[in-house]
Amino acid sequence: MVGLKLRYFVLRRLLLLIPTLIGLTLIVFVLTKVGGDQRLIGEYINLHSTIPAVVQAQEVAQRFHLNDPLIVQYFYWLVSLVHGDWGYTRTLVYDGSVLDAISLFFPNTLVLATLSSLLTALIGIPLGVWSAVRKDSVLDQATRVISFAGYAIPTFWLGLVLIIAFGSANVCRCLDIFPISGTVDVSLIGGVNWFIGGISYPSHILMIDSLIHGRIDIFSDSVMHLILPVITLTYGIMASVLRIMRSSMQDTLNQDYIRTARAKGLSENVVINVHARRNALIPVFTLLGYTIASLLGGAVITETVFNYPGIGYWTTQAILNGDQGGIMGATIIFGLAFIFANLIVDIAYGFLDPRIRY
Amino acid sequence: MGSLTLGYDTDELLNLGLRELLGARKNDAFSSSRFQQYRLTLKILLESPSSAVGLAIVILYSAIAVIDFIYPSLIGVQNAYSMVPDFSNPVPTTPTWPTHPFGTTFPGIDLYQAIMAAIRVDLWYSLLIVLTGAALGTLVGVLAGYAGGSLDEVLMRITDIFLSIPYLPFAIAVGFVLGRGIEDISLALAVVWWRQYARYARGQALAVRENAFIEAARASGVGSLRIMLRHVVPNVLTPVFVQISLDLGTIVQVFASLTFIGFASANPLLPELGTLISDGFQYAVVAPWVVFFPGMAILIFAIAMNLVGDGLRDALDPRSRT
Repeated sequence: MVGLKLRYFVLRRLLLLIPTLIGLTLIVFVLTKVGGDQRLIGEYINLHSTIPAVVQAQEVAQRFHLNDPLIVQYFYWLVSLVHGDWGYTRTLVYDGSVLDAISLFFPNTLVLATLSSLLTALIGIPLGVWSAVRKDSVLDQATRVISFAGYAIPTFWLGLVLIIAFGSANVCRCLDIFPISGTVDVSLIGGVNWFIGGISYPSHILMIDSLIHGRIDIFSDSVMHLILPVITLTYGIMASVLRIMRSSMQDTLNQDYIRTARAKGLSENVVINVHARRNALIPVFTLLGYTIASLLGGAVITETVFNYPGIGYWTTQAILNGDQGGIMGATIIFGLAFIFANLIVDIAYGFLDPRIRY
Repeated sequence: MGSLTLGYDTDELLNLGLRELLGARKNDAFSSSRFQQYRLTLKILLESPSSAVGLAIVILYSAIAVIDFIYPSLIGVQNAYSMVPDFSNPVPTTPTWPTHPFGTTFPGIDLYQAIMAAIRVDLWYSLLIVLTGAALGTLVGVLAGYAGGSLDEVLMRITDIFLSIPYLPFAIAVGFVLGRGIEDISLALAVVWWRQYARYARGQALAVRENAFIEAARASGVGSLRIMLRHVVPNVLTPVFVQISLDLGTIVQVFASLTFIGFASANPLLPELGTLISDGFQYAVVAPWVVFFPGMAILIFAIAMNLVGDGLRDALDPRSRT
């Protein structure tokens, strides 16, 4: 019976994907239309081709049925999207199809986002638990200051302050330990044929590719390059996790079953680690979706500040270059990442908390 | 941050008449005692030292913005509407009292004047964004919550769809198609900012709808629209105001982040904190002050706004204190 219910829950959740995906694509389609047909046509015109631009433009207009009603246009736009034609991007960092650009830049964003969320969980959860258990202690006060600052310090500014602190040779030589820009030191990649235009091959994740090609020096350098961006992004999402964990743990510690556990003589360690923490984690879990959203948004800013070639950096380049294909592609991929991350969270949540399966 | 110590307890608050404020307002509560209620809220807010400090800073910022508007030379600002570049000396120079207290930034712009002028621009647009978003969201939420049924379902599914894109990339896309200017990105942020308010207001409206005074109004033949505007909206507004004050601290950062990554570059001389930081970006390592001072201007305002928001929430709703 329980298994059946869970299956229904998962099925229901998967079915809910359909309207969400339609909604996402509809929004992006409307935005494309607001941007104007000329921009859409412009993406597809190849100026080096022998076919005149006017003829090419007519072909594009015909392909997307730009003279038909909007709903028909949406349909043909969606069909080309499903077929892998996401348009073209022309920025200084990449010139080519949007989907290719995403496949090159997304792995870097994924690395940044994964490391930051791991770090957030590793620091945020224990710190939140401790500060709730030792309420009003020095540690608790410090935690509160951290989470308060998290709401008030702009992410991009923190990144810049880190750059100043670690990148300035004139203030103090001793701090000059972490590189402040890009993914790897230029001096290391001279003559490397699998690293072109800031992107490594074949996996596009420099940490993995350097190991594949047996370059330990590049690997360690790429790890060093990740440290400041990861700190910046982690900081941006840490505040909400800390705050929720702390208040949720406090609520849990006031529950009857915790009093029962204490009354029957269990050690405080067992009460906190076995009985309380697990239940306190549930609200943190529900807010993961929100955290993922701020993670993806934070990636745009962090990547720009550190010149880190991910989707966010590419987005910024697209803004500066007036490149609509890039902006729309990035919006779709951010939306998809968010929707699917939330799907996984929801399903995992269904497994963890029996009350949620309805 | 929610647990700022207040020098009174819940019962005392209720005796002070806060029960009136928290519970559903009666019709007569609108006329005479509303002013008293606001004064009471202010009194409670000021009792907490951190909220009082926050409020003082917010007032200071607002005063700077107003002075920029009416008499900028009072605070030493030559031109509140445009930064004054000095191309003969474009490289940032160190802070020197009294000519350039915060130094200069690229291209030869006096940072003190630029920041003072920028406060007006950032505050104005942030306020505009939050208020537009809140108004739109509250309207949608109240409509959905009060009407219920299929309208509720449709409005909330639309809200869900809007919630399915992380707000920053969403705002970037909207701002981009509108034209990459400062007004465009403000409008874009307002377009993505109504979503939370819609959910929030709907929840409140659902609760308010069940109150006896709504039923009484309906029984005495008051129209739905009038009930919604006169009876539901005012009761939803209190938590919305708390959220507005908390959001102002966030939006001022988001706004500056977006201008930093390249929005509003059409008018490079418009004094704006994100643009200022972006101008000085390339000199950040050799001239830290070009990034430090504009960032501090954002930071201090965001902290103050958070303190005020927290204080307001504690004053208006003792139940949410953690």
